Amino acid sequence: MKLLVAVKQVAALEEDFEIRADGRDVEPEFLVHDLNEWDDYSLEEAMRIKEAASVPVEVVAVCIGPEQADESLRKCLAKGADRAIRVWDEAIAGSDPFAIAQLIAAVARRELPDMLFAGVQSSDHAFASTGIATAALLDWPHAAVVTQLSYSPGARSAVFRRELEGGLLHEMQIDCPAVLTIQLGINTPRYASLRSIKQAAAKPIELLSLAQLAVPASAVGEPGSLSRVRRMYVPERGRAQMIEGGVEQQAARLLQLIRELAGART
Amino acid sequence: MAAADATRVLFEDFSTSAVRLFYVIAYAAIAVFCYGVYVQIRKYRRGAPAGIGPGLLPRLQSMLGTVLSHRTIARRDARAGAAHRLIFYGFALLFLGTATITLDYDILGPLFGVHFWHGEFYLWFSLVLDVAGVLLAIGLLYMMYRRGWLKPPKLDYARPDRSPADPDYDRSGYRREDWAFLWTLLAIVATGYVLEALRLVWLAGRPSVWHERWWSPVGAVLAQLMRAAGMSEFSGGQWRGELWWFHGLLALLFIALIPFTKVKHIFTAAGSLMFRDPLAAQRLARVPAEQTRPGAQYITDFSWKQLLSLDACTKCGRCHEACPARAVGAPLSPRDVILSLREFANTTLDSAQLPAEVQLDVHGKGPGQVAMETLWACRTCMACVEVCPVAIEHVPIIVQMRRKLVEEGQMDPLLRKTLQTIHKTGNSFGESRRKRAAWTKSLPFAVKDARKEPVDVLWFVGDYASFDPRNQKVTAGFATLLHEAGVDFGILYDGECNAGNDVRRVGEEGLYEVLAEANIGALASASFNRIVTTDPHSYNTIRNEYPDFGGQFEIQHYTTLLLQLLQQGRLPAARRLGLRATFHDPCHLGRFNKGYEAPREILRLLGCELVEMGRCRANSFCCGAGGGRIWIPDPVGADKPAHNRMREAAAIPGLQVYVVSCPKDLTMFEDALKTTGNEGRFVVKELIELVREALTQPQSAPPAPVAA
Repeated sequence: MKLLVAVKQVAALEEDFEIRADGRDVEPEFLVHDLNEWDDYSLEEAMRIKEAASVPVEVVAVCIGPEQADESLRKCLAKGADRAIRVWDEAIAGSDPFAIAQLIAAVARRELPDMLFAGVQSSDHAFASTGIATAALLDWPHAAVVTQLSYSPGARSAVFRRELEGGLLHEMQIDCPAVLTIQLGINTPRYASLRSIKQAAAKPIELLSLAQLAVPASAVGEPGSLSRVRRMYVPERGRAQMIEGGVEQQAARLLQLIRELAGART
Repeated sequence: MAAADATRVLFEDFSTSAVRLFYVIAYAAIAVFCYGVYVQIRKYRRGAPAGIGPGLLPRLQSMLGTVLSHRTIARRDARAGAAHRLIFYGFALLFLGTATITLDYDILGPLFGVHFWHGEFYLWFSLVLDVAGVLLAIGLLYMMYRRGWLKPPKLDYARPDRSPADPDYDRSGYRREDWAFLWTLLAIVATGYVLEALRLVWLAGRPSVWHERWWSPVGAVLAQLMRAAGMSEFSGGQWRGELWWFHGLLALLFIALIPFTKVKHIFTAAGSLMFRDPLAAQRLARVPAEQTRPGAQYITDFSWKQLLSLDACTKCGRCHEACPARAVGAPLSPRDVILSLREFANTTLDSAQLPAEVQLDVHGKGPGQVAMETLWACRTCMACVEVCPVAIEHVPIIVQMRRKLVEEGQMDPLLRKTLQTIHKTGNSFGESRRKRAAWTKSLPFAVKDARKEPVDVLWFVGDYASFDPRNQKVTAGFATLLHEAGVDFGILYDGECNAGNDVRRVGEEGLYEVLAEANIGALASASFNRIVTTDPHSYNTIRNEYPDFGGQFEIQHYTTLLLQLLQQGRLPAARRLGLRATFHDPCHLGRFNKGYEAPREILRLLGCELVEMGRCRANSFCCGAGGGRIWIPDPVGADKPAHNRMREAAAIPGLQVYVVSCPKDLTMFEDALKTTGNEGRFVVKELIELVREALTQPQSAPPAPVAA
């Protein structure tokens, strides 16, 4: 039995940053990279299923990304994933979720997992569509925002819960194999001690190329994407200001401001 | 005066079979004793290797020095120390006396026909032993008075990590054992004297006995009283026959039971003292690279030395009293951790067969197991290790157990988050590396980058001093002082990481290794003569632990550097502040590294009146932030160590300033000052701030307003 977990290495901003010269992304030197928070939960869910199963289960983490993404895959290995696969080619840079989904689907066709997990979304770009697009490309059933799951590897279906608006819960059954996107809070991800991360450094990470996946370069990167970023920018900030001076001066200034704003509305 | 034939009768009037019976019982008692010793040693040998280096002789000397002087027992409890000294020396003399008789009667006599136990030697022997018995009895009676009437709280065995409903809540078995021990020894002493008196009455007609009776003064007085009460020589002899057996059997029982009862501390405490590690808490042991399970999960993961030291505990309660976690009602008492593990070792490792591994797991809530709440309550402040009279090293034991918890991720979610943050950013604040030196921007001068140009003094700033806004002011102040004194100094800028002291004490050894190696690499790439640090935690790990990772550096805490600058006149003569101040010794500067004098000397140079708190220097009370506890929220509504400390300071009449010399202390105590309602009564200040005040304000400035 096999569970495939799609993970992403996300970028977080440092406090001061600059936008790249082309205006479509942040200058890379101002980014700190880490495993996407949602993927921490989907990997944990896979690990729990593996540990509770009566049959041998292989957990495979897959990541589309450049070499530095190995760091996130090592974290997955440290937490107990059996194998890690990274897919990269310079042509992949600039891919949108659909192009990334092409690659994950190609890996899934190669690995033939019993179930594919992805995070609901990534914390940096938040498209929330890679998992679902992968399901569409594989023509597998899918469900998004899963908050509770009961699945035994090898079973023909899985039962899960989703949270709906207004405090409603949705309990559903889905045929396997399926793609589930996992929501935060479904479990408590385990801690990967530095010791286990170091030990994971000795484990191999399989690197797959476009050729090995039989995906043409035209299907990825900007040519293979259905959408593209026009620009990335910081909107003009709101007008917050400190009112200086003693209590009386502050009160007077506040009153003046309220009058101004109230006047502006009428 | 001394009759040449004076000696003590041993088996006079005993039938041959009675003498044989006595020897059978005596050898049986010795056999039981030896078996007990064997079982204990087998137990210790089931522990891991201890890595004790050569040099047994200096260890032996140091142990004998400690035992003979009673230095550690008398500390902070002079009366208990004095009473124990009486018991120790009384018991030792009586034991040597008995051994002397055996040497003469059972060894030299039968083998070589040599007898020396008579005449003048015997008489002096008799006097010395009579006095020894009195010493022992006085010591025992005081201990009874202490346990029965004084009842110091530290001798209450009730556990903070159990509730009264639990069967092992108050360890009443130990209480019974304590009393049985005292009564048995007292009974042996008392029957010894009565026996001596009966023998004198019985042999009153024999001049070599009766004429020399005052060489046994206690026995002689009793004998006079017995004769005055009308006891005949004949009934004296008869009573002597009965009591002889009682006294003898009691003494033999005592010997046989030594390895099975608290009496074994005679040996285990000596062993523990002999194998003590003077840097046990300051320099934690590395996890060997080949070890598959980090930390201590099973009782057999502890070293034989640690298992031995568990048996050395005499439940004196000094660690229990000193522990800041215990003082605020956290579910931890160092004493109970040690006793739990000891009981666990006794139930699992005493039998001939080692039980299955699953039964050796020391983590949990069962009898003898240690709960994770207990382990996480520890501040690793070292108060327990420092005060233990028998050199039990609690902190390494607790950290070893935490290492196993960390490996399994069994920790507070916030702590887990912090460790991940430190891994990601190199600091506990989650700030970007490049902002580490942002505080330098407020300075009117540039701070050298020690990675780019050689400096005399490399300043290791540390996380709190770099990122915490309140501490940044102090940090800038220290930079100004160095600048004004013309010190050629620099910092590592974004090359510096969290020093790892607290990460290591949390038990995240892998992360500690990453941090230590990164800092050692950065330091190695810089050119400097010595390191100074404003952070006692960094000071400790760089000074004591980095050498194990190949980082040998000369390092000083800022207090010693500032003192030198003031004494050498490199800083202008300070204005006398005239403040009534108290000084809080940071654990990692004081207890850990004995840096008690420099900050006090600086306060004197500043013209402050130093009023010590009751708990100061080695007995300083932790602020509660150590051991990673600064990253773990304290339970809501519960008392905190910093509150406890603020109340202690507030009791000093007219206190104006509570002086600290550690960034974490500043954070903890400024908060505690407010939450204990002492704001406005006195202030918390970094020593650096006081030095700056003394140097920057004009000589003629009016004195600071005195708080009520």
